[in-house]
Amino acid sequence: MGEPHPSPPADDPIAAADWALLHRPTFSIRTKIAASFLACFVLIGGVALASWITLSRLEHKLYFLEVADRYTNHIQQARRYEKNFLLYGTDLAAAQEHVQAAGTALKAERREIERAVGRATFQGMKGHLERYEQLLGELDRSPTPETTTALREHGAQMVDGALGVAEAERQSVHQLLSVSRLLPLVAAGLLLALIMYVTQFLARQILRPLGRMVAATSQISRGEFTPLLPQRRYRDEFTTMALAINHMATELERRQEMLAEAQKLRAIGTLTAGVAHELNNPINNISLTAEALLEDCEQLSVDELRDLCGDLLSQAERAQGVVRNLLDFARVREPQRRPLEVAELIESTLKLAGNQLRLSGATVDLSVAEGMPLIHGDKQQLSQVLVNLYLNALDAMAARGALRISARMGDEPGFVSVAVTDSGRGIPKEALPYIFDPFFTTKGAKGTGLGLSVSHGIVTKHGGDIRVRSEVGKGTTMEVLLPVAEAPPADHA
Amino acid sequence: MPQLNVLVLDDEPIVGKRLRPALAKLGYRVDVVQTGADAVRLIGEQVYDILITDIRMEGVDGLEVLRQARARSSRTRVIMITGYATADLAQEARDLGAFDFIAKPFKLEDLRAAIARAAGSFSAEAHG
Repeated sequence: MGEPHPSPPADDPIAAADWALLHRPTFSIRTKIAASFLACFVLIGGVALASWITLSRLEHKLYFLEVADRYTNHIQQARRYEKNFLLYGTDLAAAQEHVQAAGTALKAERREIERAVGRATFQGMKGHLERYEQLLGELDRSPTPETTTALREHGAQMVDGALGVAEAERQSVHQLLSVSRLLPLVAAGLLLALIMYVTQFLARQILRPLGRMVAATSQISRGEFTPLLPQRRYRDEFTTMALAINHMATELERRQEMLAEAQKLRAIGTLTAGVAHELNNPINNISLTAEALLEDCEQLSVDELRDLCGDLLSQAERAQGVVRNLLDFARVREPQRRPLEVAELIESTLKLAGNQLRLSGATVDLSVAEGMPLIHGDKQQLSQVLVNLYLNALDAMAARGALRISARMGDEPGFVSVAVTDSGRGIPKEALPYIFDPFFTTKGAKGTGLGLSVSHGIVTKHGGDIRVRSEVGKGTTMEVLLPVAEAPPADHA
Repeated sequence: MPQLNVLVLDDEPIVGKRLRPALAKLGYRVDVVQTGADAVRLIGEQVYDILITDIRMEGVDGLEVLRQARARSSRTRVIMITGYATADLAQEARDLGAFDFIAKPFKLEDLRAAIARAAGSFSAEAHG
């Protein structure tokens, strides 16, 4: 809703990355933390509820156990009185009372007893009790030996039943007790596992993106940046951070480009002095020829006039050529990478800085190895790098120094090496680590400290590297390593 | 006044081509060369009254030719002409004994005036 791009922008990798980062469902770290704690709470709540239920059941069972004991008691009392009656003819009413009490208890606790011993057993118990009560009544009226035997039999069954109920319930209580003893232990174990998982999970949720951000910033500081892309399915707080880092990288890149542009302007300024001097020669030739024409036109033959006019034209062209190189270099345009010949690149940059070299009186020794492969790059940017190196070399050398430029295959496979060696004063060891830092200069107010920093930026962007070897008093070699162009599609094969 | 002999050294061939008739017209005997080595060879063969030389050249440069010419004879008046004129270079040339220093592009009349001054210095020397 209201997003700037309905589809991922294709031309700008950082904008595309931002789009991908934003177009994900949101599931914030905050929500994840809340969900984790909720899970812990649910577990603890569940344990509490389970404990509560177990304890309530235990309480209930204890109460029922009392009832069962009372019932057993009644039955046993009834049997004792029954024995007294059979032996001494006394206490039959007391026996009947206890049987009735037992019957009442049985009826009242019917459900619990059924649960404890099962419906069939309960029915059996009930049958025995009723039969026993009936037999007691018969015994009162007309005792027979059969009645007595049946009475004893049902009495024994009744006692067994009562004891069975109590026993079953006791066992159930023991079971519950062992469950409630185990419950907190199991809960503690589960909670520990859950906490460990949540800790792991949150750590991963936070530490991994942090690690990526650290990697991205150190990558940016090395001048090579690939925009941060989404690694998870959901948007969270780190999305904002990734966007901020991408934004920062865009800004840095823009500033880097501005610095490179400023540096180029300064190089153009230096080169312009050389070009202005170089222009003096064709202008002088034109001026002398024009004067000769003015002075002698009447005495000159047609062939001589032709010759003079030819000179005028050739010198005008020459002047144009002198300026064209610089204009090519100065023109502001989008970087454009294409296959380049190293030798041609060096020659055109030497032409560009040639006037400057002539001005300083330096000798130039150029050696290019045979059969060099093409490199892939932006001609203007790479020219800027080489021109910077030449101008630095000139600055480092006293008048009439020796500049050596050599191009060959690099020691590392897949790289072309262009080395610019001067016979200058060299770079002190303590300055070496800083020479590629922006605004670091050993030239005092004369330098901006941008040349090498910008050159390094350009070369790194091309996938290459600049290395320096220097000895104070002897000179410096700056070696530019550039990756060989991938083999072009074999359309002529 | 005997005919003054002039040596013109410039690696730009057009300079020699134009100066030869322009100076011959005024009665000078003019030799033209395009390299410092040739100039040094000719200086070894004869003493020139006036040497007009460019400074920046491949191989033997104008300052070296100036040195050689002054070493050969203090009579030789050396006029430096260069497209790369700087104050430092002018000073260096003067220190080496250059008579005049003219920046390119120049007008013929400027050069002729300089040569005339050089020629005048001979008669001043002769009278002084």
